[in-house]
Amino acid sequence: MSSDLSQNLKIYRLSMEEYEKMKTLLGHEPNVIEWCLFSALWSEHCSYKSSKNHLRKFSFRNSNTPDMDGENAGVVDLGYGEKIAFKMESHNHPSFIEPVQGAATGVGGILRDIFTMGARPIMSANYLCFGDIEAPRMKHLMKGVVKGISSYGNCVGVPTVTGQTNFHPLYNKNILVNALSVGYFGPEQRMALSNASGSGNLVVYVGAKTGRDGVHGASMASASFDDDSESKKPNVQIGDPFYEKLLIEACLEVLEKNLVVAMQDMGAAGLTSSSFEMSSKGQVGFILDLKKVPLRDSSMTPEDILLSESQERMLLICKPEKLSELQETFKKWSLDSAVLGEVQSDRKVKLMWGEEVLTNIDPDLIVEEAPRYDRPYQPWNSLQKTQALQAPEKINFQSLIEKAFKTSKLNRFQWIYNQYDQRVGARTATACESAVAHARLDHSGRGLALAVGCRTDLMVMDAQIGAFDAVYYPAFQMALKGSVALSITDCLNFGNPQKPEIMSQFVASVEAIASASVQLNAPVISGNVSFYNETLDENIPPTPAIGMVGMRDSVEDILPDYFQAPMEYIVRVKMDWLQSYTWLNSLEQKVSQFTENTHADIAGFIKQCQALDQKRQAELIPITSIKAIGLGGLAVTCLKMVQGNVGFDLSFDTSLIPESELFRDELYSFIVTTTDLDLTISFLKKHFKNFPVDIRKVGETVTEKIHISKKIILDFKTTKSQFEKGL
Amino acid sequence: MSLNVGIPRFLGTNCDEDVKRWIESKGFRATYLWYEDRFESKDFDWIVIPGGFSHGDYLRCGALAARTPVMKSVQEFASKGKPILGICNGFQILCEAQLLPGVLLQNKNLRFIDQWQTLTVQNADNPFSKMMTTQQHIRLPIAHGDGQYYADSETLQKINNNGQIWLTYDENPNGSALNIAGVTNEKKNVCALMPHPERAQFEWMGSSDGELFL
Amino acid sequence: MITIGIKIMPRDVILDSQGRAIESSMKSNGFQVQSLRAGKYIEMTLPAASHDLAKAEVERMLHEGGLFNPLIEKYDIYFN
Repeated sequence: MSSDLSQNLKIYRLSMEEYEKMKTLLGHEPNVIEWCLFSALWSEHCSYKSSKNHLRKFSFRNSNTPDMDGENAGVVDLGYGEKIAFKMESHNHPSFIEPVQGAATGVGGILRDIFTMGARPIMSANYLCFGDIEAPRMKHLMKGVVKGISSYGNCVGVPTVTGQTNFHPLYNKNILVNALSVGYFGPEQRMALSNASGSGNLVVYVGAKTGRDGVHGASMASASFDDDSESKKPNVQIGDPFYEKLLIEACLEVLEKNLVVAMQDMGAAGLTSSSFEMSSKGQVGFILDLKKVPLRDSSMTPEDILLSESQERMLLICKPEKLSELQETFKKWSLDSAVLGEVQSDRKVKLMWGEEVLTNIDPDLIVEEAPRYDRPYQPWNSLQKTQALQAPEKINFQSLIEKAFKTSKLNRFQWIYNQYDQRVGARTATACESAVAHARLDHSGRGLALAVGCRTDLMVMDAQIGAFDAVYYPAFQMALKGSVALSITDCLNFGNPQKPEIMSQFVASVEAIASASVQLNAPVISGNVSFYNETLDENIPPTPAIGMVGMRDSVEDILPDYFQAPMEYIVRVKMDWLQSYTWLNSLEQKVSQFTENTHADIAGFIKQCQALDQKRQAELIPITSIKAIGLGGLAVTCLKMVQGNVGFDLSFDTSLIPESELFRDELYSFIVTTTDLDLTISFLKKHFKNFPVDIRKVGETVTEKIHISKKIILDFKTTKSQFEKGL
Repeated sequence: MSLNVGIPRFLGTNCDEDVKRWIESKGFRATYLWYEDRFESKDFDWIVIPGGFSHGDYLRCGALAARTPVMKSVQEFASKGKPILGICNGFQILCEAQLLPGVLLQNKNLRFIDQWQTLTVQNADNPFSKMMTTQQHIRLPIAHGDGQYYADSETLQKINNNGQIWLTYDENPNGSALNIAGVTNEKKNVCALMPHPERAQFEWMGSSDGELFL
Repeated sequence: MITIGIKIMPRDVILDSQGRAIESSMKSNGFQVQSLRAGKYIEMTLPAASHDLAKAEVERMLHEGGLFNPLIEKYDIYFN
């Protein structure tokens, strides 16, 4: 192999086989431009080459989910003329390098995926994974990511309403930043498509000028930046939420005025991916002159322009007669627009540099013919034991809890979500203080529910169990608030897919999620895959983050997640599918025990839980709060419900139970607080009479006391301040 | 009684739709006023400047918005003694436009703060407090990064004596001088506050005390 | 005591969103400006015995103390 070729393979990150395939498709040795195009579009991020074969398993659809194959984001029909589009995306590696901008541009990117369809973004959420809080740079990374999400989200005017923050040492060298957005279509509102059409139509570039953002000669892998030399530094993509806000308004306005045939945002691989995908989907060609691209830096080469990841840019197709009104609208919003070329029926993308032809290539060769790999994997060997669960012994509960506070495992993260504007839009009913966010839909007044899922400790214990839980748990949490799960998006974060053990985790997760989504009648309609979260052979735990939307009849009277007043009864409803001790175990000892209940039973139970809310309202059952029992069991859940001056006492009713059981994970159980014990217990027993549940009083709420058991007593004031401690 | 309310819209204004819906829910007529356009004072009864991040909050909050054509008309409107309400970024813009005393600095903890606040009504003698009584406690949400009210001691004394302190925080979240959450001008026709009344219209939002303002 | 000024600006290749917004606003209001970039200026006094020692200490603050972000910013040091 010539040294030139081996250099190119390294710079453009293509394998020898991929190069051979590219050469065959082109029919000649690729030129620099062609290397760039294939490199971008055949990257894992753009082509999904290692995952596509498995993502087909998410094919389940129902009457609410029109099939929009290959669109930017999934759409759910909510009835009453209302629709939503939603999707989740990762921005992991950039956030590790520059956390503020990495997270900010992650938020910006996912918002564009939503409004490129013509939906107004109305809610944002995030899913974050950090390493050990004491690991090098970790505090700096956490603060930076939160700052990035908050500064971008707040300025762009979309409320950040829910999220999840996880910690595990396996994320030390690879943090995860996943951003989710939900957009709304009202009745009569036009949806935009991304397939180009109409020979003679114009290809128009709108938004920010193109600069060198994201273009780099040197590899971004090593983060040693002591060297002042400018050329060695990566060109960090900067997000400008102000610009994005202008772009949102301008794009929605031109769509409303019906000035646009098709639209796509310039995301990863910027102009390259948007132009090739639009033309390939529309089965048309383009003639584009790269010299017409508005530039921030006039010394940029055509390669720079094609690979630039400058933010806040869109590509539109419009009819020639609509151009001047389109450009005026963008000008009104202080945004650039430039005609780059036109649509042609000859199915080739012809890239020009003034008069010079850079390449003339069939977009399908790159998009449709992208490689697809069947990476080797093993069928999943699940951690299913049916022998009795052995409770760990000799646990110092007090120091366990202290450690949990120290490692942020018990942190309430108020210091994080108090930096997010949760109420802009005046739609928010419940937000970050609750497990499930609810926003009021403009037209019908119903409540749109949003929750994220995927619990690190379960994923580490067993990828398949964790992946089932990633779907069931948010659906369960939603059900407790009276909301029914409608649809799912995912962000599948995994390590190196070329390693069979990682690929096995991936396949097991995808299959578990697909199966759970069918059980719940909540199709997976959009998603993202982030592979290669690996540094120096160390891979992240399997992390299939889930975003779930649901529906509630109204936004009125949603029960809170916290204790409301002292002298109330705490009642637990326990339905077992899985028991484990993720809290009390170190990583080495993984135990779990499945019951006889099937997945259909879980789905049925969740459905029955969802019917609870309306019934308790109708029958005036004085339930004051409701919460799913999380990992760490009853004890940890009650700890998390402490609010104001209200604590709890579990010591009398559970005094016959071994202390370790108070910390045992019991999927899926929940607790309620109520002022009328007998009425509530008989109500719950009647409601769940067809289910193998255990319903009993487990404790009471008390003023300024935390008694987990007779021996585990915590100081109220210290504990409260620990919850609220932030970075 | 139906009022004509003008709602200025700058590049980056976020809470315009929220404010419009709030105003219209009262049966008033609300019209957006584009930042590049002038308007006639006689066409409107009230002007309400909504929150958001006008011009990205760049340079200084409200600084660039304050120097736009629509604000020239707002100045005229103010000089005629007609009522103006500024919310959050609206407050910042009115200060930059010198229609209100003082300035809003970055929050003391240097972070954006989103949380519910209990406020006390100090003076209720302005067009937007007809349903309030002095010393009344109300609950409104704040969401801002630059809400620390500052004025020099002479100005603070003056506005205090003149009854221009409209609302104060019961628990100061951002370091504002004299716990100030909202002020009025000397003539008491220009009023502004950092909290968001339009986000407290219904109990399901968390509070309905925003209704006291219209 | 030695007084030092540090001008911190966005690196040339980096998008300066603040500068862009201010430039646009000034132009809209009819002011004559070709281009505008915005950064920050830090003034500090140090108990250093010489200019060289003061500069060395400031360089340490910049590179080890996080006074600037080398990924997205550049700096110049001035003596008054």
